[in-house]
Amino acid sequence: MNADRDSSRAERREESAGIAGDAIMTSSPDLESQPSAAEAANPVVEADRGVSGLEPHAGEGRKRRRINLGMDRFSGLYVWAALIILFSFWVPDTFPTSDNAKIIAGDQAITAMLALGIIIPLAAGVFDLSFAGVLGVSVAIVGYLQSNGWNVWLSAAAAIAAGAFIGCANGFIVVQLRVNSFIATLGMSSLLVAAEFWITDGKQITEFNSTFLDLGTKPILGIPLPFYVMIVLAIIIYIIIEYLPIGRYLYASGGNAQAARLAGVRVNNVVFGSLVASAFTAGVTGVVLAARIGTASPEIGPSYLLPAFSAVFLGSTQIKPGRVNVIGTLVAVYLLATGVKGLQLAGAPSYINDLFNGAALIIAVALAARSARRA
Amino acid sequence: MPETPALQIRGLSKTFTGQRALIDLDLELQPGEIRALVGQNGCGKSTMIKVLAGYHDPDPGAEVFVDGEPLALGVAGAGDHAGLRFVHQDLGLVPTLDALDNLAMGHGYERNRLGLISWRREARLTRKTLRDLGYDIDVRQPTGHLVISERTAIALARALSPRSTPPRVLVLDEPTANLPAAEIERLFGVVRSVRDRGVSVLFVSHHIDEVFTLCDNVTVLRDGRHIITRPVEGLDEDALIALMIGRKLEQFDMPESASETHGETVLQVRGLRTGVLQGVDLELQAGEVIGIAGITGSGREEIALALFGGVPRQGEVRVAGKLVQPYRPDKAVSAGLGLVPAERHANAAFMESTLRENVSIVSPQDFLRRGLLNRRRETSVVRSWLEKLRVKPPEPERLLATLSGGNQQKVMLARWMRQKPAVLVLDEPTQGVDVGAKADIHTLVEEAAAEGAAVLVVSTDHGELTRLAERVLVLRGGRFADELRRPHIDPDRITAATIGAGQGAAA
Repeated sequence: MNADRDSSRAERREESAGIAGDAIMTSSPDLESQPSAAEAANPVVEADRGVSGLEPHAGEGRKRRRINLGMDRFSGLYVWAALIILFSFWVPDTFPTSDNAKIIAGDQAITAMLALGIIIPLAAGVFDLSFAGVLGVSVAIVGYLQSNGWNVWLSAAAAIAAGAFIGCANGFIVVQLRVNSFIATLGMSSLLVAAEFWITDGKQITEFNSTFLDLGTKPILGIPLPFYVMIVLAIIIYIIIEYLPIGRYLYASGGNAQAARLAGVRVNNVVFGSLVASAFTAGVTGVVLAARIGTASPEIGPSYLLPAFSAVFLGSTQIKPGRVNVIGTLVAVYLLATGVKGLQLAGAPSYINDLFNGAALIIAVALAARSARRA
Repeated sequence: MPETPALQIRGLSKTFTGQRALIDLDLELQPGEIRALVGQNGCGKSTMIKVLAGYHDPDPGAEVFVDGEPLALGVAGAGDHAGLRFVHQDLGLVPTLDALDNLAMGHGYERNRLGLISWRREARLTRKTLRDLGYDIDVRQPTGHLVISERTAIALARALSPRSTPPRVLVLDEPTANLPAAEIERLFGVVRSVRDRGVSVLFVSHHIDEVFTLCDNVTVLRDGRHIITRPVEGLDEDALIALMIGRKLEQFDMPESASETHGETVLQVRGLRTGVLQGVDLELQAGEVIGIAGITGSGREEIALALFGGVPRQGEVRVAGKLVQPYRPDKAVSAGLGLVPAERHANAAFMESTLRENVSIVSPQDFLRRGLLNRRRETSVVRSWLEKLRVKPPEPERLLATLSGGNQQKVMLARWMRQKPAVLVLDEPTQGVDVGAKADIHTLVEEAAAEGAAVLVVSTDHGELTRLAERVLVLRGGRFADELRRPHIDPDRITAATIGAGQGAAA
């Protein structure tokens, strides 16, 4: 485990119980603590900061050697474990069973894949709100083509290509037309809802290729195929972000675009590529979802928007606090799913899903922001 | 018995942990006077203005009176209320708002009987205010879209608007820094008419000639102390500069140093243009350190970014004979250029990233092994650079934000020194850096040059240029107007050359 965290973290660890850590939201308090441009221009003020700025680290050599429970980075894992234990006692007949574990694993594959996809643009500092629309269009295309007799592979390829194309459109609007990514992809979402209606003609399509449906529903070792697709995707994105130069460029562009540009990073290309990647991922996810549910209807898509974003933001308080990251996101997805499933089995009403997701996100990020301020 | 001074400062000192920026300053401004406030960088002008604006708390014992009334010190807005108004160097306008809103921020909006904003009356009022100053400006255009002279006029109009009290004292902080010559004349006309209305003006400028054109009297600050206040009449430029730097510009007549041997020419710049820069030529040899000096608005702020491709440019930049594509920092990097830009927070630092990531960002591909980044190798390389540059603490996994300013700057330097660029451009390399780190950075720059890098140092710190540069090129009005060579380089000569006076210094 990572023993060399700084002393401020060590102190924070003691004070915080439950979910804590740095958060994506820490940027505002941090901005205040940075010297303003006016101050920076004044060497006297800055020199003064320089001296005091060193002091917090002075005693660190001694302080740091405490047992690291990793409350700042692994709190989600503790909460997850606590939830599992809690529900195992609360609903011992249905919760702690292998069937239930498999259901949770399979059910969340779609949300997890989408969340993994939007990590990439979020790391680069741009939003992609259109991924849910891409998901819907992808499902619609697969359904439409298969109902017209296309084979499994061609229909899937067409849907994924459509996703990548939409990503290019997003990238063009954001990079070339200089539209704010939030607005650009919000507009694109609306266009995609229209496209979905147009493709499906407003009706449900259920005439899928049966081999295709088998792929989506037949379990392997008791868990449906989508779960494995999600794991493969997670590994690919993890390698891209953590072990390839492009990962550095993504976080650099998101952290300080101007600085990244002046370090030779081609920020525009990075942003463009990140939007293509998330749309591509959503296209793939759409194919998997189509195989899983066997229905294409115009309503599919939007319901995945909030859970995926919640998972990424909640995940950014975990593992690598302050950064959207792959493992944190997966922890968040399954932590939320475990909580929801447990409550459902304990007899909670159906709206518990949204209630729990929303409350967990706000509480986690607020706690993280608070401990970051204290640091 | 003189009339009540419009502004009176008594016993003003300001200490920043150990360093005294202002020492027991006294200053009196008579009604209807235009007073120049001059001094070298770091003489205490800015600090004094920030104290007056309520931005800094002065040391105890200081007193300030506006029109005979004591002013609450260290309270933002107190001066405003008393009739003490400012046009700061950056003008302080909100660029997304129009003239009307920017003016209304000072005095509130015109309301109709229902308490709603009367846009028509407000627009008429704003237009009239600006016209009274002699400017005809579209008041509904976001100020960010206006030219600098129009923005200056709006900032001036806001400072002069009546609000609760009429303006008594107007402080202009480098108002002409970015203005073209014709607009400067126009601005001076406005300032004179303001003076004729009985408002006192405190005019802060680096431009010595403007002091003589505009001002009645001049106050000189040096090292935080008041040196002299006297009428401009009877002074000439050399005499004023002598007052500013504390002695007469001496003319050394040392023999030319034997021309030092350098490597081949690695940087060639022809006809570089951008913004203020109007066709600049430059050549740099391997192992050479050249300085660039210039006042604000001379093109000094732009030259490093333009060379590196951070802003669009015209003209040729060649590194080792090969033409570098403009406005493409990535091409500049692969051509062998490196830039440590000014204003680290905005232009260079990834505050929430680790030192490791900050150092390796320019070429993380150096650490690829079998297609994947090898973090262990990266960490050890980065650590060795941090140690070499004496970054404290040299821990690659630490977040940049946890370091002091000087150490952050060293990390930025480490980023580029790892690249071993053929040409290293440093823009204000020690701005906002403490004394110890500054000395370290200077040593590192010399080491880089000794290892064969051509180094270009752009700086407002003339001591720094004297310490580092074999030649100092002086920018004035977007062109190289002077060149100083060792042994004729010293801070005073550079200062004199940047303000275009004391031609003797050109040697």
